[in-house]
Amino acid sequence: MRGLVPFVSYRLFRALIALWLVSTVVFVVMRLSGDPVPLLLPPDAPPSEMERVRRDLGLDRALPVQYAVFLGNLLRGDFGRSIHFREPAARVVMGYLPATFELALAAFGLAVIIAIPVGLISAMYRNSVVDHTVMGLALVGQSAPTFFLGILFILLLSLQAGLFPTSGRGDWTNLVLPALTLGAFAMASIARLTRSAVLEVMRADYIRTARAKGLGEAIIVAKHTLKNAAIPIVTITGLQFGTLLGGAVVTETVFSWPGIGRLAVQSIYNRDYPVVQCAVFLSAVAFIVINFAIDLIYGALDPRIRAG
Amino acid sequence: MKVTRREILKGAAIAGAAAALPGGLAGRAAAQSTQKRELVVAQGGDVSKFDPHFSTSSNDIRVSFNIFDNLTARHPDGKLNPGLATEWKRTNDTTYQFKLRQGVKFHNGDPFTSADAKASIERTYNPEAKTMVATVFSTIEKIEAPDPYTLVITTKKPDALLPARLAFYGGQIVPKKYLETVGADGFNAKPVGTGPVKLASWTKDDKAVLEANPDYWGGKIEVDRVVFRPIPEIAPRIAALQKGEVDVITQLPPDQGEKVAGGANTKFVGALYAGLYVLAVNSKRPPLDNPLVKQGLSLAIDRALIVKELWRGRGIVPSQPIAKGDNHWDASLPPLAYNPSEARDRLKKAGYKGEEIFIETTAGYLANDKPMAEAIQAMWKDVGVNAKVEVLEYSVRAQKNREKSFKGVFWSDPTSTLADPDGMMWRLLGPGGPQDYWRHAKWDELGAAARFSVDEKFRGQAYKEMTTIFHEHFPWLPVVQPYEDYGLQKYVEWTPNPNQQFEVRRFALKMRRA
Repeated sequence: MRGLVPFVSYRLFRALIALWLVSTVVFVVMRLSGDPVPLLLPPDAPPSEMERVRRDLGLDRALPVQYAVFLGNLLRGDFGRSIHFREPAARVVMGYLPATFELALAAFGLAVIIAIPVGLISAMYRNSVVDHTVMGLALVGQSAPTFFLGILFILLLSLQAGLFPTSGRGDWTNLVLPALTLGAFAMASIARLTRSAVLEVMRADYIRTARAKGLGEAIIVAKHTLKNAAIPIVTITGLQFGTLLGGAVVTETVFSWPGIGRLAVQSIYNRDYPVVQCAVFLSAVAFIVINFAIDLIYGALDPRIRAG
Repeated sequence: MKVTRREILKGAAIAGAAAALPGGLAGRAAAQSTQKRELVVAQGGDVSKFDPHFSTSSNDIRVSFNIFDNLTARHPDGKLNPGLATEWKRTNDTTYQFKLRQGVKFHNGDPFTSADAKASIERTYNPEAKTMVATVFSTIEKIEAPDPYTLVITTKKPDALLPARLAFYGGQIVPKKYLETVGADGFNAKPVGTGPVKLASWTKDDKAVLEANPDYWGGKIEVDRVVFRPIPEIAPRIAALQKGEVDVITQLPPDQGEKVAGGANTKFVGALYAGLYVLAVNSKRPPLDNPLVKQGLSLAIDRALIVKELWRGRGIVPSQPIAKGDNHWDASLPPLAYNPSEARDRLKKAGYKGEEIFIETTAGYLANDKPMAEAIQAMWKDVGVNAKVEVLEYSVRAQKNREKSFKGVFWSDPTSTLADPDGMMWRLLGPGGPQDYWRHAKWDELGAAARFSVDEKFRGQAYKEMTTIFHEHFPWLPVVQPYEDYGLQKYVEWTPNPNQQFEVRRFALKMRRA
């Protein structure tokens, strides 16, 4: 790796550009999406009343002026006040973060703990019954719509078997079904990618060499295969985690989970610009941080990248 | 307010998946009575604000009408009852005198007096307070509080509906002193009312916990705690009811009633919606400017079939532009007629030549909107009308509504906010109203006269005549007055309100105890 300082500052610069672009796009798209005022007032409110509320919210000003104010506030870390909740937008979004982290970590943990061994076993016993079964399941996990899986879990595991609550947030039993539902997709993609990455490495010359020199299969897998297959696995795993942190709209909606994805979608419906801006901004930050972490892990895993 | 009905449909699709599986709860002990001291209510969305003057959304008013009291109270039977005012009378055409209930305390211990009532109502239209209910009391000229338990309200013109207005949103009474001390934001975070429950805690999008007010003037409610939970999707909402995690669910779609009623422990109840589902007509656009065409269109709609097939019987065929249950609803009128051959005759007489007639529908904004639009399109085609269905996205509809730029007929669900035609057909169809696409001199004259009259006999006659004119011109094509259904545990004995208020007071809620 070239010196750490230029590397970090270059990444930081790119991150800032990305955040600025994301904020601007969200700002523009939200304003194109419609007017929050009719949603706040009774259905028969006259136009004069609409104008009054629009003025109070600062929505009567020219778009460039609104944008300048928005950017100025953003630099001070102020996302404005939620139109819907009448509280600072940042406080609203922060209130949803614990639930989001809880669900994301549970789903992610479940996905990684199950998917990587499964992918590895599938690769090692390629074309066996185990491989076909596991990959078949993974295909289902990847292609089944989340709301279908979620409702299936509710009906089978909650309503019929009575094992878990149907919805809501509470103790760990509330966490199982949403984590399983949310983790299913990540699990499937990580398992499939692990399998193909391991297969690819297993065809490499150095593995043949390792076998030729009489190394045990366990050592080959642990020391040579997994380490070399790690780069794509780390990449997809990291990106999946970013996606999970960004909130899981459908899962959160099906299970009434008070997470940031549902907040973002509700806020889009409510045209609650400040909350949407803040939520998307934080998701973008999470993605950027994770990407950065992945880059650092690459360096640790593969000296060639470090030498760059 | 609109989001709720939109959700019903959205949820109906996945609820189908739920219906496909057998309800496996029959084996469990049937809970026909309960010792529970808590009532858990699942609604389609979360509360957003507790300050009652900042929201009119149904998810909010279900809660705020229980934390707060109004001077007058609309009970589930549709009648106006005493609330914080024990009695009221008109002292002249423009003045009402209210006697206020004595010995009532706010949740923080402050006594309730006329100063609170005066400040509350004045707050709604005080420009500095910037409330969302600023137009509700626009008829009020001034409010006086001559003594702690008397309130005198003077209106600009005679206003027969003032007591009705005071019962609905905007009319919730907030404590003057506390509000001044904590400010609007502090009040929204820690609301204090006189109602049967007080806010204990709120976790956004998770639950709002309300504790019973032990000193409530109307008697402590049946339970110690009421919890409101948002469960946005209909299938999980029904599952939560069937599993016994919640006691009441709102917004039960018409096709799910039988399933809930078939459960060992669950049942459903409904209240006739205080309003109508209509196809509003842009009567300015040919050929819809011709009354004969609109009569033909109305005669071609088989409303009874729509109620039977699409609403599973959970609705009635309207007979007039006034919702059943409202003042001046005319019981002598028959349901709107279905007569395809007569429809063809009128269209022919009108000189209709196959011009396109657009049905601009949303998909899921109102329950059954798109299916009804398609059914009506087919019915109109049967009588030779060149009907086209166009599906609009919700925000497009909102914009067209604001700009009054619909090009044919479009769905609307006029709500009768005051249980009176003035608050429904006159509010929406009157000159300058949100659906002002049609004018008729006599109709306008009658509507204005009825608005500013306090003589109910005169008003009744005016609405009768307006209905006759309406049935010639059809500025709306009323289609159905649906029920709004709720799912309940069998041990909950509860009567719903037609206007989306969710009443937990003693007169509406009982828990069956063993």
